[in-house]
Amino acid sequence: MIEIQDLKKIYGERTVLSIPSLRFENGSSTVLAGANGSGKTTLIKILAGTLKATDGNLTLPQKTRYLPQQSYAFRGNLIKNITLAGADENTALHLLETMELAHLKEKKASSLSGGELQRLALCRVLAQKCDLLLLDEPTSACDAKGTEIVLNAVKAYRAENDCTLIMSTHSPLLATAGGERLIILGDGEIAADGEPKEVLTHPESDWAKSFITGWKI
Amino acid sequence: MGLPPVVAGLFVYVLFTHYGPFGSLNLLFTVNVMVIAQVLLITPIVVALTSSFIEGSSKPVIETAEGLGFSKFKTAALCISEGRASLFSVVLTAFGRSIAEVGAVSIVGGNIQWKTRVMTTAIMLETNKGNFSFALALGIILLLIAFIVNAVASLAVKEPKHD
Ligand SMILES: Nc1ncnc2c1ncn2[C@@H]1O[C@H](COP(=O)(O)OP(=O)(O)OP(=O)(O)O)[C@@H](O)[C@H]1O
Ligand SMILES: [Mg+2]
Repeated sequence: MIEIQDLKKIYGERTVLSIPSLRFENGSSTVLAGANGSGKTTLIKILAGTLKATDGNLTLPQKTRYLPQQSYAFRGNLIKNITLAGADENTALHLLETMELAHLKEKKASSLSGGELQRLALCRVLAQKCDLLLLDEPTSACDAKGTEIVLNAVKAYRAENDCTLIMSTHSPLLATAGGERLIILGDGEIAADGEPKEVLTHPESDWAKSFITGWKI
Repeated sequence: MGLPPVVAGLFVYVLFTHYGPFGSLNLLFTVNVMVIAQVLLITPIVVALTSSFIEGSSKPVIETAEGLGFSKFKTAALCISEGRASLFSVVLTAFGRSIAEVGAVSIVGGNIQWKTRVMTTAIMLETNKGNFSFALALGIILLLIAFIVNAVASLAVKEPKHD
């Protein structure tokens, strides 16, 4: 289980994240939504351990894999990028197939398009089993088909690995179909939290409401 | 960034002169002390360039590596291999500074023929003596060495265009 208590992230005078209490059950899947600057990346980075919280208590699982919002291409071809992350070649090839990148496997990673690179970065993150999977906007560079590919790949991975999933997104598809729980952040605070359908039809706060109507689902 | 070479030379001279703290080592006017002076001159430059490179371009590498659970050691190795072109240019800058050095090496080395005379100090001496053509020839050789080293190095780090 993941437990957050009295979490605060403060830059100078500004509190960019303030969460009194939040829990994620083992094996659960949660989507984080919220406007630009609402604190999604901040929360994910703190859970990933790459950013220190100003204050608060965290209970985290053993093994975490984290996909940063910005994708990075390591030197070498696609296969090498994935084996570097701890997969053998067969697993790497299999991952490329599920992400529909297999036809590019010998290409240099730095030559990929934005959406292709993002899917490669996800392949790397999925190269090994983990307890907690943190994805920061995994489809921000993907088109509709790419978004669906990513969604299915993450589902397939979780079917095999049974890990806890927390991912942020601006995509309506991911927000509704990506997890069993949807949390909406507004100005660093939790504005809504519940089943995606419920949150989207009965937003708990004005803030969440104004954000969701922007999606026009 | 970096010390004025003559001042660095003077500093090393004071340290290694007969009455200085390291005088008993008898290193003054040897190649060894010239190397020490060069290290003193070049290290700050290498450190400054390397750290500004790491701060500038290694952030996404580090974040990606941490997200994949890499050890500190593997992350560092990855930063070096990902940034090897920039790190190579740091090495070349350091090399360029070193072979162009005059002030510090002539103070601590003494410009002794066949022992501590290097190309730059030889060029200065020959120019002062009026042997322009000899000085010029040495200058051209020095330029050629610098050019060849740079060319070979940049070929070595160049990534192939296609796999
Ligand atoms: N190093 C920093 N120094 C100061 N402020 C920061 C820093 N990093 C983030 N912030 C601020 O914290 C707030 C939350 O940022 P965060 O990256 O978590 O937003 P986000 O919800 O991920 O946004 P987006 O949808 O654009 O990715 C932003 O207003 C940002 O300006
Ligand atoms: Mg973000």
